[in-house]
Amino acid sequence: MIEVKNLTFSYAKDKQALHGLDFTVGDGEIFGFLGPNGSGKSTTQKILAGILKGHGGMVSLFGQDIRSIRSQEFFQKIGVLFEFPYLYANLSALDNLRYFASFYPKEQLRDVEEVLEELEFKRDFLRKPVSSYSKGMRQRVSMARALLSNPKLLFLDEPTSGLDPTGAVLFRKIIENERQKGTTVFVTTHNMLDADLLCDRVAFICNGNLVALDSPRNLKEQNSKRSIVVDYLYQGQRYKKTLEAADLKSGIPFAYDELISIHSQEPTLEDIFVQYAGRGLS
Amino acid sequence: MMGKSLSALFKKDCRMMAAGKFFVVALGSLLLYTLFINFGYVKFMDANANIYKVYLYDPVGAFGQVSPLVDKVGSLEELNEALALDIGSGVGVKVLAGQPEVVMYRGAEQADRHRVDYALSLLHSDGEYPPEIVGGNTVEMKLRREITCELLFIEIVAVGFLGIASVLFKEKQMGVIRVHAIMPLPKSLFIFSKIFLYLVADLIFATLMTLFNIGLAGAGSILPGVLLQTAILSLIMALAGFGCVMLFKDFKQFSLAYLVIALFAASPVFLSANTSIKMDWIDCHPFYHVYMGLKNAFFDMPGTGPAYYICAVCAIILLSMLVSAAFRQEMSKEG
Repeated sequence: MIEVKNLTFSYAKDKQALHGLDFTVGDGEIFGFLGPNGSGKSTTQKILAGILKGHGGMVSLFGQDIRSIRSQEFFQKIGVLFEFPYLYANLSALDNLRYFASFYPKEQLRDVEEVLEELEFKRDFLRKPVSSYSKGMRQRVSMARALLSNPKLLFLDEPTSGLDPTGAVLFRKIIENERQKGTTVFVTTHNMLDADLLCDRVAFICNGNLVALDSPRNLKEQNSKRSIVVDYLYQGQRYKKTLEAADLKSGIPFAYDELISIHSQEPTLEDIFVQYAGRGLS
Repeated sequence: MMGKSLSALFKKDCRMMAAGKFFVVALGSLLLYTLFINFGYVKFMDANANIYKVYLYDPVGAFGQVSPLVDKVGSLEELNEALALDIGSGVGVKVLAGQPEVVMYRGAEQADRHRVDYALSLLHSDGEYPPEIVGGNTVEMKLRREITCELLFIEIVAVGFLGIASVLFKEKQMGVIRVHAIMPLPKSLFIFSKIFLYLVADLIFATLMTLFNIGLAGAGSILPGVLLQTAILSLIMALAGFGCVMLFKDFKQFSLAYLVIALFAASPVFLSANTSIKMDWIDCHPFYHVYMGLKNAFFDMPGTGPAYYICAVCAIILLSMLVSAAFRQEMSKEG
């Protein structure tokens, strides 16, 4: 679906934002693009979404070089959720969505109210102006805008930003449903939980360079210490012991009365990012 | 598909303009201007229509029968005193060697010939000095055409320019301009829809202003010319407003630019066209030509040549290109 070779981009002569990125995203894959502010992830997404021109290297989407793609046909195939919910504040959710829907062919469109219902949007607010909505409701309307054209490729920038935990779970479920329908999803996020739970593969970008690319599971396994920490009671005293995974082959290798907890020492995605990039995500 | 997109953009822009009270402001301006012209300006100016006082010092009585509008004075001192008190419009005539000599203390260069003709025609009430008749307008109609032209120019330069800017700034602040970057529509439609809508609004405004203040009979012959000049001014101002919104970060910065543009566009034009201030460089001021184009259209005068129209079209094309580039830059900005 997406093929990127030696992608470079400069905002000015001495301000190179991307230094030769290489990656591919397969059909129906959820691909996470992770990096701190100013690392180049928004620039990459904008190039892939056809918003930013003038890049170096090769970017191919739907099997075609992005430079040769006819923009209207291309934009009919993609859906984009921006980091902020950009909507007409004086119009209602329905009017906003009907307005944006009017740019797509009718046969491609989903029913606006049905999409909003799937996103658990409060029906009482359907005809109220967006200015009266909470951030979570605005995010739901923005997501509806991205989904209502049945895109084949979905770009999501911080999809769960501004949502409560229930909303975040719902969004992750909806993104997963989209993937099951065959949609390719390119997620840009700071949120490591989203990346971990959603993405088939993640790429870490730092200062315009890709520093790692693999599935969250592989990244964690490769960087795991392969040890566990056991909390236990023995003869009325509480103890903590760190063991190598191999030590557990023949059971717990020490005497105990009661096991309180066993913690694997698997690193989080954020730990791995810090390890590769030498800095945190914020 | 393009027609459907344009119709959606057009409807949305109408709603944005309505929400921004643009139509209310335009209607209010129309009402205010019409009331001012019909019940204020024309009546006030008409009361002062007999504006040139003519003072005659004719010690030997070379002119026996003169118009009753001429004030005879008994000495040169009296003539000088009268002119000193009536600097703006008085015309003195002294007849010392049988020939009338015109004396004026101050006057606009363009008006001097007019005043001299008027004064001399009053002295030769037998018709020996027929004044040159310029145009067939009554004083009231001349005043109506002048003030309608000026107010229409102000409305488009100031209010129209601000109108498009206020709607666009709202869209810019809401971030929705960036959403259009990923919509399957030709991006120029977004610009076209707005410019077209403001053009239509300005043309309707110009039509109503002309009809209400010039009258149906007078408006018929001048309306096509007035609408053509209005369209040129409206397109230039709407494109300039669009470009400024794209370039400036917020309304505060824009307000400063607006002041500069409004002063640049309007002040020299009004000073040159309506006062005695003489500016040699006014011919180099682009808005002076646009204003004179509109004024000539209101007076049904053939004053605008092909060079003016070529320059106007080039300016509109150049502004469209700049606006298009600024719009694309705005769409690709950070969220």
